[in-house]
Amino acid sequence: MSIALGLLLLAAQSPAAPPAKVAASIARVFGAGARADTLRVDTVSVLRVSRADSLLGFAAIGNVLGKDQPITLLVAIGPVDRLKDVDILVYREPYGGEVAYEPWRRQFRGKTAGDSLRVGKEIRSISGATISVHAVTLGVRRMLAQLTAWHQSGAIR
Amino acid sequence: MRTLLGLGFLVLMAPCPLQILAAQERTTVGGYGEVHYTNRTGPKTPAVVNLARFVVYLAHSFDDRLAFRSELEVEDAKVEGGKPGGEVALEQAYLDYRLGDWITLRTGLVLAPIGIINETHEPPTFNGVERPGFDTDVIPTTWREIGVGAVGTIPGGSGLAYRVYLVNGLRADGLSAAEGIREGRQEGRQASFANPSFTGRVEWARPGVKIGGSFWYGGTADTNAAVGTGAFGAPVALVSADARYDSGPFALRAVVANISVSDAQAINAAYAQSVGSRIAGGYVEGAYNLLRLVAPASSQKLNAFLRHERYDTQASVPAGVTRDRALARRITTFGLAYKPTWNTAFKGDYQLLRNAAGVGELDVLSLGVGYQF
Repeated sequence: MSIALGLLLLAAQSPAAPPAKVAASIARVFGAGARADTLRVDTVSVLRVSRADSLLGFAAIGNVLGKDQPITLLVAIGPVDRLKDVDILVYREPYGGEVAYEPWRRQFRGKTAGDSLRVGKEIRSISGATISVHAVTLGVRRMLAQLTAWHQSGAIR
Repeated sequence: MRTLLGLGFLVLMAPCPLQILAAQERTTVGGYGEVHYTNRTGPKTPAVVNLARFVVYLAHSFDDRLAFRSELEVEDAKVEGGKPGGEVALEQAYLDYRLGDWITLRTGLVLAPIGIINETHEPPTFNGVERPGFDTDVIPTTWREIGVGAVGTIPGGSGLAYRVYLVNGLRADGLSAAEGIREGRQEGRQASFANPSFTGRVEWARPGVKIGGSFWYGGTADTNAAVGTGAFGAPVALVSADARYDSGPFALRAVVANISVSDAQAINAAYAQSVGSRIAGGYVEGAYNLLRLVAPASSQKLNAFLRHERYDTQASVPAGVTRDRALARRITTFGLAYKPTWNTAFKGDYQLLRNAAGVGELDVLSLGVGYQF
């Protein structure tokens, strides 16, 4: 995957999902009262999440294609680039909505960009939701890699 | 992949805002198919090769909420007048209006949400070259009818999802002893709506686990007063339960179904058939990914599987019918499925077709390839 494509993956935050959903997701992942500031990296927005003076982490919003609809997801990392959580912000397909269930999403927690994330290995699939499971897993892998790379290069801090 | 917009697998929205992207009309193409080699034992039974299914999936999003989805199928590669086999048919064609995660309204030609294979029938999703016999003779896949309904997930992270439809019913004149309700399906072709039927499903999912329960209830009499009168004359009632479990290299699945044909006696009298008053059976299947032993790092799969089916389309018979014990079938299938990717499969299996009468028993060797995208 080229850097250019990787860069494109991370989406402008504000229009990607209803702002209330993004705010609720940030509050759920980082705790109530977390403050989110929008950083720009090239043309892409990343949320910097902090409380008082301490950095809590970063979050990005992106889309992957399910069977025929985009799936909008949020990927959040902590201050040492461990994945804090994944949220499905908007799911539009008729089948496969199980990827939004917490027992499936929590498989990603604590992973780093160096960890292997493969369906059927580290990530268990869900029967009848295979296409969405593969799409979201791929999206998480790439968004986690991109956020980590930006953080480590100082593009976001 | 299949999007006309996407850069490969991912729809990348930066820098264009999603609301613009999502509001754009968008057409998606996909598909699945399978080619079979079948060699039955017995005299004068040469092997047969067949392009069993070629299916084009076509979907269109009109806006954020309204989408059309369809599958157009060619069976047996070609259709020619006066020749057996061959079919061109729509497997699905419906409009979805999405109100929220918890409910999408659906209308059109829809799949009956019963069992495992009827809704999830792409060849890489199941073991064995042919679909299980149970999913032909008991649950008549691919079972689709015209109607309206709703699908959705029950909110709150419950893991529950549902589908319910009101569709056209079966027709009693198609019911038979050997294939149960199969030829009673109308499949969207100038279907009689004399007997609206209800069908639905609730399922519960966790990573690696899915458990479902399904039903169908509706009359079959059509306009034949000798069979029954009223919308629910000569009703067919189906209940089914299914479970799928995947853990590491292991995969298990099981389905059971019970169909009661309440007025089988009247149906048999009217159409000179010997339809069972109860059709029942099920199967269990276990699979193990052999690549876990020899190449544990590989994301490819080589599934060895064993399936055992037991079903009887005359589990009970009405007065006047002598049970044909050859219809009490026991099918054991074992084989391999090599899956270089999750959506392609190369299959080989051996089937032992047995029945309680010991009549017409045979073995079948099958090879096949299947894909979906």
